[in-house]
Amino acid sequence: MKKILELKNITKTFPGVVALNKVKFDLYEGEVHALLGENGAGKSTLIKIISGVYRPDSGEIFINGRNSFFTSPTEAIKEGVATIHQELNLFEELTVAENIFVGNIEKFVFTKSRMIKITEKLLNELKFPIKADEKVKNLNTSEKQLVSIAKALSLNAKIIIMDEPTATITEHETKRLFEIIKDLKKRNISVIFISHRLEEVFEISDRVTVLRDGMFIGSGKTSEISKEELIKMMVGRKIEEMYPKFNVVSNKEIFRVENLEVGNFVQNVSFNVNKGEIFGIAGLVGSGKLEIALGIYGYLRSKWDKLIIDGQAYMPSKNMLKYGVALVPEDRKKMGLVLDMDIMRNIILQNANEVTKFGKISWKKSKEITNEEVNKYSIKVSSIKQKAKTLSGGNQQKVVLSKVLRKKPKIIFLVEPTRGIDVGAKVEVYNIVNRLANEGVGVVFISSELPEIVSLCDRVLVMHRGRATGILSKEEINQENILKLATGVDI
Amino acid sequence: MSWKGVLKKLKEYPAIVGFVGIVILFSLLSDRFMTLSNFINVFRQVSIQAIIAFGMTLVIISGGIDLSVGSVFAFSAVLMASIVKNGSVFLGILAALLVGALLGAINGFIIAKGKIQPFIVTLATMAIARSLTLVYSQGMPITGFPQSFRVIGRGDVAGIPVPIIIMFVVFGIVFYISMYTKLGLYTYAIGGNETAAKLSGVKVDRYKIIIYMISGLLAATSAIILTSRLNSAQPTFGTGYELDAIAAVVLGGASLAGGKGTVVGTLFGALIMGILNNGLNLLNVSPFYQQGVKGIVILIAVLIERES
Repeated sequence: MKKILELKNITKTFPGVVALNKVKFDLYEGEVHALLGENGAGKSTLIKIISGVYRPDSGEIFINGRNSFFTSPTEAIKEGVATIHQELNLFEELTVAENIFVGNIEKFVFTKSRMIKITEKLLNELKFPIKADEKVKNLNTSEKQLVSIAKALSLNAKIIIMDEPTATITEHETKRLFEIIKDLKKRNISVIFISHRLEEVFEISDRVTVLRDGMFIGSGKTSEISKEELIKMMVGRKIEEMYPKFNVVSNKEIFRVENLEVGNFVQNVSFNVNKGEIFGIAGLVGSGKLEIALGIYGYLRSKWDKLIIDGQAYMPSKNMLKYGVALVPEDRKKMGLVLDMDIMRNIILQNANEVTKFGKISWKKSKEITNEEVNKYSIKVSSIKQKAKTLSGGNQQKVVLSKVLRKKPKIIFLVEPTRGIDVGAKVEVYNIVNRLANEGVGVVFISSELPEIVSLCDRVLVMHRGRATGILSKEEINQENILKLATGVDI
Repeated sequence: MSWKGVLKKLKEYPAIVGFVGIVILFSLLSDRFMTLSNFINVFRQVSIQAIIAFGMTLVIISGGIDLSVGSVFAFSAVLMASIVKNGSVFLGILAALLVGALLGAINGFIIAKGKIQPFIVTLATMAIARSLTLVYSQGMPITGFPQSFRVIGRGDVAGIPVPIIIMFVVFGIVFYISMYTKLGLYTYAIGGNETAAKLSGVKVDRYKIIIYMISGLLAATSAIILTSRLNSAQPTFGTGYELDAIAAVVLGGASLAGGKGTVVGTLFGALIMGILNNGLNLLNVSPFYQQGVKGIVILIAVLIERES
């Protein structure tokens, strides 16, 4: 078999992070190569380098044995490298045929009927059950994926990168996708397949490469590696060290919500949290799990029959913060921090009343408070006057946590609190979460990372299309059960 | 501090560098420029625009813009003029300030509660306030005020004209607001990241209303000075003042994207505009060229800032 892609010693750094450190990767003609790693391991950066979005700081890339790299995604596509992104980049208002031909029209005599004819022929050949003249907005996620694949093939792609293609589709659709991937192999097309789900990796891939913390950990034939070995390679440490757990669940309730409704995102959700408990919420993208937090916090319009915090009932309000609800939002850069302001001002922003008299801020007191917080959460800064944008992801998240926790909340919603931060910082966040629970704060842990949900939470509410499909008890929590509920299958 | 350090520090305040540069340039080109009386003259002229620009600074830091200041200026001027003419200086000034603050608050209210872009809202209120002015004044200037009123524009304390004193008092207040108050912190936060500010518990709507109210209030303050100085309120007052104010703020280093800017910068931005006017006049440069020179200076300033 011919090697069509080879990466050697690839290094890529971003301010505050080494995303890839001397990573290698290769791909043969007609093989399915799975790329594995936890979030933040460097998978996305690697595929962005392969597809021309990023330039590596150093290292070499060989395409068909030639030493070169792409300077833009357009160039990558021209050379036969296509990427099927998680958020599919299609034009919703255009038809399937138009989407396939966007950027590729000049090669053909352009009339609408001819375009649809060619597309139909292509779709028939691939056995894709899609109509060429259907508008893309009328298709579901799985069908949109097929459109992207068809588009890639119409551009003569030799390498197709699929970034977590199964994360947002049903089991049945996954089966169909795998049939298609097998068909692609027969056409001598190579696929780089990214997924968190090991079962899928074993089912579909010929070889597997594991990254961790931006480093190459190992690579080999899938048939010669066991599941346990793969997990060990991905996590890199024992589960107990990765996910510290020392909270003690009491039987005293700290929070309860009944019949929560948040806009069109969430309907009819009820749950309660006890003191000392870490309560998880899981669900796929768009399931409404994030909106639960934003709704209760008062950022999104919401309704409920009953909401009780520490024995006290509350009506929906725009500002639940003052009743002891805290939120660590999903995206710390867009929602958590004012990146152009310094660390001190970011912390004071949420705690201004503590340092303000008649509208005047005491900067002396602010400095004291900030230094206290920086020490308490061991935030690594060169100065508290440093702008928030210059911090690494983990330290940014600690600034968000410190400013939120300083208000001494009774119930805290942590939304994807470990996204994009390194493993060390993750463990620190888990430790903080455990401590909070033990201090009697109600903890709601909302995450897309199943391993952390499984290891950390005492109970898990699973969302599917805006509704709760079940609450799993400690004994029932495992990835399989969560995924079943998350895709709408009854256990 | 090293030479590079000094250069870096200066780059943070391009308006001060520009101001010094232009002062040196004009003092070389004209011997009438570098005199105390000329400088007092420049400061007095600048005071009108600077006071508006201080309010605009807060608006722009908060990520907004206020195009209505010129029209608010005109309406408060004619309203006050009619009251002052009928006898009460105090009531006239009070009315001007109240109506300025009110129009500003209305701007802020529509922007915050209606979730409409500030550009559009204040474009509309700019037209409405101008219309109100023309209707109220019947398109005629209102002139002839008692001596007690004319002190504001023409009087002086120990040789320093009252408008300059007012300008520095307003400067001090707005500087204090921006650096030492919750309102100031929140203004920067709203402009820097509105979502994060809201999620941190900042009552964004309320603070936006306050910010636009201050802008309206300062436009009215400036109108009082000019009306008194000219002994006349014209319905065409303030035309184009919004652009002068925005130019001063931008020259001062603020970003129209919000979250960035200083009142000190704005003061020097306004001074640059004033000195350019004055110097070009002293050099007998045709007014046909003057606008163009100002435009070029703004472009250069923004390009320098972009680099840093």
